[in-house]
Amino acid sequence: MDKIQYTSKVVSNEKLCPRFYRLCIDAKPIVKRIQPGQFIHIRVAEGLEPFFRRPFSVYRAQNYIEILYEPIGLGTKILATKKKGDDIDILGPLGNKFSMPPAGTKQVVMIAGGIGVAPFLILSDILKKRKQYELVLLYGGRTGGHVCDMREFKKNGCKVFVATDDGSVGVKGRVPKLFSKINSDPRTTFIYTCGPNPMTAAVQEFVKTHKLRGEAACEEVMACGLGACLGCSIRTRSGYKTVCYDGPVFDLHEVIFEHSG
Amino acid sequence: MNLSVKIANVTFKNPVTVASGTFGHAEKFYNQEEVKKLGAIVPKTVTYFSQQGNSPPRIIETPAGMLNAIGIENPGIDGFIEKKLPLFQKIGVPLIISILGHTDEQFIKITEKLNSAGGISALELNLSCPNLKHKILVAQDPMATYRVVDKVKKNSRFPVIAKLAPNVTDITEIALAAQDAGADAVSLINTFAAMVIDVRTRKSVLGNFTGGLSGPAIRPAALYFVHQVARKIKVPIIAMGGIMNADDALQFLIAGASMVAVGTANFVNPRASLEVLEGIRVYMKEHKLDDIREVIGSVREARH
Repeated sequence: MDKIQYTSKVVSNEKLCPRFYRLCIDAKPIVKRIQPGQFIHIRVAEGLEPFFRRPFSVYRAQNYIEILYEPIGLGTKILATKKKGDDIDILGPLGNKFSMPPAGTKQVVMIAGGIGVAPFLILSDILKKRKQYELVLLYGGRTGGHVCDMREFKKNGCKVFVATDDGSVGVKGRVPKLFSKINSDPRTTFIYTCGPNPMTAAVQEFVKTHKLRGEAACEEVMACGLGACLGCSIRTRSGYKTVCYDGPVFDLHEVIFEHSG
Repeated sequence: MNLSVKIANVTFKNPVTVASGTFGHAEKFYNQEEVKKLGAIVPKTVTYFSQQGNSPPRIIETPAGMLNAIGIENPGIDGFIEKKLPLFQKIGVPLIISILGHTDEQFIKITEKLNSAGGISALELNLSCPNLKHKILVAQDPMATYRVVDKVKKNSRFPVIAKLAPNVTDITEIALAAQDAGADAVSLINTFAAMVIDVRTRKSVLGNFTGGLSGPAIRPAALYFVHQVARKIKVPIIAMGGIMNADDALQFLIAGASMVAVGTANFVNPRASLEVLEGIRVYMKEHKLDDIREVIGSVREARH
C-alpha cells in the first residue's frame, strides 16, 4: 500500500472555464511514473460522506499532477473547496495506459466529450515529442461554459475543433458533426476517445464503418480502484473487464458501451 | 504480547483478517512485508464453475457504506487453484478459502479439489451471498445450514467455517445448526439485502436490481448479531460488518468474536486492516493486557 498511497499537498485549485476546475497536486514520488490514460483515486474527505474515493484521469504530469473536474456531485463539490497547502490523500498511479499509435500512423485524432478531454493533454504532451503525427482534437461540450481554453492543446500542436449543443462555441451540435476532420484511412489514422457513452458509441460506430483502429478510456462507478472489488466492470467482447485494473483504456472495438441513458 | 487465536487446530498469529471479496492483487499494490503481518487472508469466493458476474452497474455508494451486486465473478475452482492460489500462497499468510456451491454436490467437489491442492488453513462456506437470485439462502434455513456444513465437514481435511446471513429472524438458530453439524467456527455477517432506486427513471440503480449493503452503516447491527451468537455457541466467531478502524474491531472482539475481518474499508483505505492490527496492539498496551483472550468476550453485561 505504501507503493501507491500518498498524502500530498494541493498546489493550486482554480477555475479553468465556467464549468471546469483544475486541481494541481504536489506528488513527487509518483509524478514521473504517470503514463497517459492513468488515473489517481482521491479521498476527498476524511469522514464517511462521501464514502468512496473519486477517480480522476491525469490531465498533466510534469512538475505536479494536474486533474480536471466539474463540480457537480458531492465529491467534486468538496474538491472545489480545497485550498493551496491542504493535504490530499491519493492512490496512484492506477490503471493501464494508452498505447502509442501503431507504425505508419500519420494522423492521431483525439475525440473528447465534456470532462473526457482530461487524459488528452498528457497524451498530446507525449505524442508531440515524436514529431511525426498530425494531432487533431475534436471536442464536444454541452455549452460554451464547458469549453476550456484550448491553448495548451494548441501549444502541443493540436488542431482543435469544437462543437457545442447550444452552438455558443464552434459548430452547433454533437461531436459527430466534426468527424469530417478525420482522414478515414485505416493505415494512417489512429483514434483515441473519452467521454459519455452515447458519444463514444458514436465514435465506435464511425471507426467500425471506416475500419479504423483506436482506443477508448472508459468510466464506471468505482470503489477500490485496485481490481479487488470487481465493482467497476464493464462489458467487452471478451467478457467483463474492470475499468480500474484491466482499463481504463480498452481497444475501441472491444468495449460494449451500455446504460448510456 | 500474545495476539494469537485458534480455530480448530489452526493457530493464527493475530485476529485480523480481510473479508472475502475485498482484497486482491496484493503482489502489485501492497508492501509484501506489511501484508505478511495479517493473521489470515480470505480471497474472493470461488465457485465450482467459473462465473462472469452480474450486469453493471454493480456498485453504488450509500450513506456510510455501499451496495454491491458483483455476482461472485470468479475463475471457478480449477482456474483458482491454477492461477490465483499460488499468488496468495506466495504472500506467506494463512489462507481461508471462501467457497460456494450452488448444490451440495458442488460444495463437496470444490472441497475435494482443495483437499488435493493443499497449502490452505481453512474453508469458509459462503452460505449467504444475497446476489445470486437464489430464492432462499442456505444460511436462512437451519436444516439446510446443517446439511451443507455436515457434508463439507465430512469431506474436508481443513477446518470449516460457516458464513452467515443477517437477513434472518433468529441468527442464533442458524449458528447453532452450523455448530451442531461440526462447523469449527462461524463468520458473520454477510451483507444485508438492499436496494436503491433512481427516482428519475424509477429503476433500480444496480444491474442486478438488488444488492448487499456493507460498510459502517451496518456495523452496529453486525455487532448485535455477533453478541447474540457469542452467548449461544462454543465455537469461535469471525466477525465482519463495517469495521473501519481498531475501535470498531475491538467492539466485535469484546462482544465475543475471536477474529475480525476488514472488508469494505479496504476499498477506501487499503491500509485499513494493518491499521486495525496496530490499533489493537496499542489498545492492549494502554490497558496493560498481555493476551488477546483478555479482550475476547470481555463485554460487561451490566448496563452501567
